[in-house]
Amino acid sequence: MDTLVNVAHGFGVALLPINLLYCFIGVFIGTLVGVLPGIGPISAMSLLLPVTLSGTPESGIIMMAGIYYGSMYGGSTTSILVNIPGEAASVVTCIDGHQMAKQGRAGPALGISAFGSFAAGTFALIALMLVAPKLASIAIAFGPAEYFSLMVLGLVVLTFLTQGSMPKALLMACIGVVLGLVGLDSITAQPRLTFGRMELIDGIGLVPVVMGLFGVAEVLLNTEQVIKRDIINTRITHLLPSKDDWKASAGPVGRGTILGFFLGILPGGGAVVASFASYALEKRLSKTPERFGHGAIEGVAGPESANNAAAGGAFIPLMTLGIPPNVVMALLLGAFVIHGLQPGPLLITQNPGLFWGIVASMYIGNVMLLILNLPMIGMWVQLLKLPYNILFPLIILFTIIGVYCSSNNVFDVHVMIAFGIIGYFMRKLGYEPAPLVLAFVLGPMMENNLRKSLILSQGDLWTFVQRPISGVCLTLALVLLIAPLLPSLRKKRELVALDEGA
Amino acid sequence: MNNDRNVKLRLSNSELWGGLIGLALGGFVIWSGLKLRLGTINDPGSGYVLFYTGILMCVFAGAIILSAVTEGGPTLASRWENVRWSKPLLVIACLTAFSFALEPLGFLLSSIPLMLLLLRLIDPVRWTLAIPIAVLVPSGMWWVLKRLLLIQLPSGLFGIG
Repeated sequence: MDTLVNVAHGFGVALLPINLLYCFIGVFIGTLVGVLPGIGPISAMSLLLPVTLSGTPESGIIMMAGIYYGSMYGGSTTSILVNIPGEAASVVTCIDGHQMAKQGRAGPALGISAFGSFAAGTFALIALMLVAPKLASIAIAFGPAEYFSLMVLGLVVLTFLTQGSMPKALLMACIGVVLGLVGLDSITAQPRLTFGRMELIDGIGLVPVVMGLFGVAEVLLNTEQVIKRDIINTRITHLLPSKDDWKASAGPVGRGTILGFFLGILPGGGAVVASFASYALEKRLSKTPERFGHGAIEGVAGPESANNAAAGGAFIPLMTLGIPPNVVMALLLGAFVIHGLQPGPLLITQNPGLFWGIVASMYIGNVMLLILNLPMIGMWVQLLKLPYNILFPLIILFTIIGVYCSSNNVFDVHVMIAFGIIGYFMRKLGYEPAPLVLAFVLGPMMENNLRKSLILSQGDLWTFVQRPISGVCLTLALVLLIAPLLPSLRKKRELVALDEGA
Repeated sequence: MNNDRNVKLRLSNSELWGGLIGLALGGFVIWSGLKLRLGTINDPGSGYVLFYTGILMCVFAGAIILSAVTEGGPTLASRWENVRWSKPLLVIACLTAFSFALEPLGFLLSSIPLMLLLLRLIDPVRWTLAIPIAVLVPSGMWWVLKRLLLIQLPSGLFGIG
């Protein structure tokens, strides 16, 4: 009963005209960046992070969330019609989606991907409504040791799933922690690594770092190649899948939804892993696995549902524990912090309007996305023809303006350009920026919780092992750290490795 | 991978360079941690986490170097093979020049040339389109920010913008 009252309260917040507008802007931009290859939700969210300052916390966060799940919808359009994934979670959709389009079945592929995404998004939200408050009540009992160990686990999972060698990803995570610690020490107020610059006393801003590493670096990488697009030019008809298509897709949608949701909750996991896992599962369960790769609708329905369910599930650790499970959620955490809010176990009780408003807006956003992605598909196809030589300079200009507006400080523009150049060379040398950004956000929290737990336990390191939740997290982290040393597990890791930045 | 592109103990091994940079950074972080005071395990100081993070950085950088020496790695040149490497370099040069020009020249006088250069350098947009975009987009953004949102952009020594 309480949940229903809270949901009604949430809809009251989400249906306010200003929040509806922000929700629409979010899902629209999300679909846009999902459709456009080369720009992912991370770049778009980092670009728009300063915009959240202008409105209420609800509006800003509703918009940011909309970009994330909106990009999951939009990504499938590009994968199916152009055979280029709009964002990383839609890589798998290219395999069968584009084959379906080539066979003249682009409509059903787009249709099942939108309906599957809607069903998965709806399930994830209902589960979020039911699970989050319960988990939050358990999380109140978490001490600094549990928080520290959970964050260590999150970072290790992300480094485990990042492309390339594990030592490189771990080195990136360490650099992220160090960058996060620049500025005044929160306990002793001693300046650290500021090099005498007043601008660094408050630390390095999240916005310039993320915009540099994901926005500018992405543009620099994209300028290296001439982007060729093989757009399906035939008229897209029959967006409603046939009875047979529904029959074939019902199982994959259901399984993809449940699998995606649980993979989304796990720290370090997320939409990309979920879509790959769902595709592998459907291929294994299929009586005719040879159809996969040649236009099997199950290969579109499963992964598309999984990535949307994972996008919903990823909100759980952020909202209930205050720990972002991936880089996108780290950006969302940034949006909360900008507004002076701290997501965590107390958020639901202290700010019920905010929490339930965001949840309700996600449902409204899902409905908006269904409308945006089916009847308006022609518009998105036209957008795919936008020339990149005009788009890239515009992105650079928007990043500069975005960074400047977030702090009114030219120094941050310098920081962004520097991180853009560093990010470009990092990617060229095979160092992924995702662990760095997550560690940058988690670093200060990790340090704070580590020092608190050491002070509370009077220097007893066993406290991290003796406390059950902390012990389990650290054991899992240790297993993942050792796993790549075993050749069989190393191969498996390479198979599921992901590129968060795309 | 052929021998020219996968080298072990050669200065052109990009993995080796990546590891060495990581090692140098790790060393710097350890030194910074020590300088800031480590404290004790009962009462960790400001440099405590930095110091141990620096040690971890050195360990991971060491692993990268070891792998570069034993398994080899791609050469620096091969990382930029078959790509238009001059394009990102030009964009980097433009951005660096812009970052130095932004404060003295102001937003409008620095961003219009930046846009024009980017539009002409990445994949040349024809002049008749590049000039209007380069002038109108930054001016439009400036107008929206300054007049509608009341955000002050840098106006530079000449007070333009």
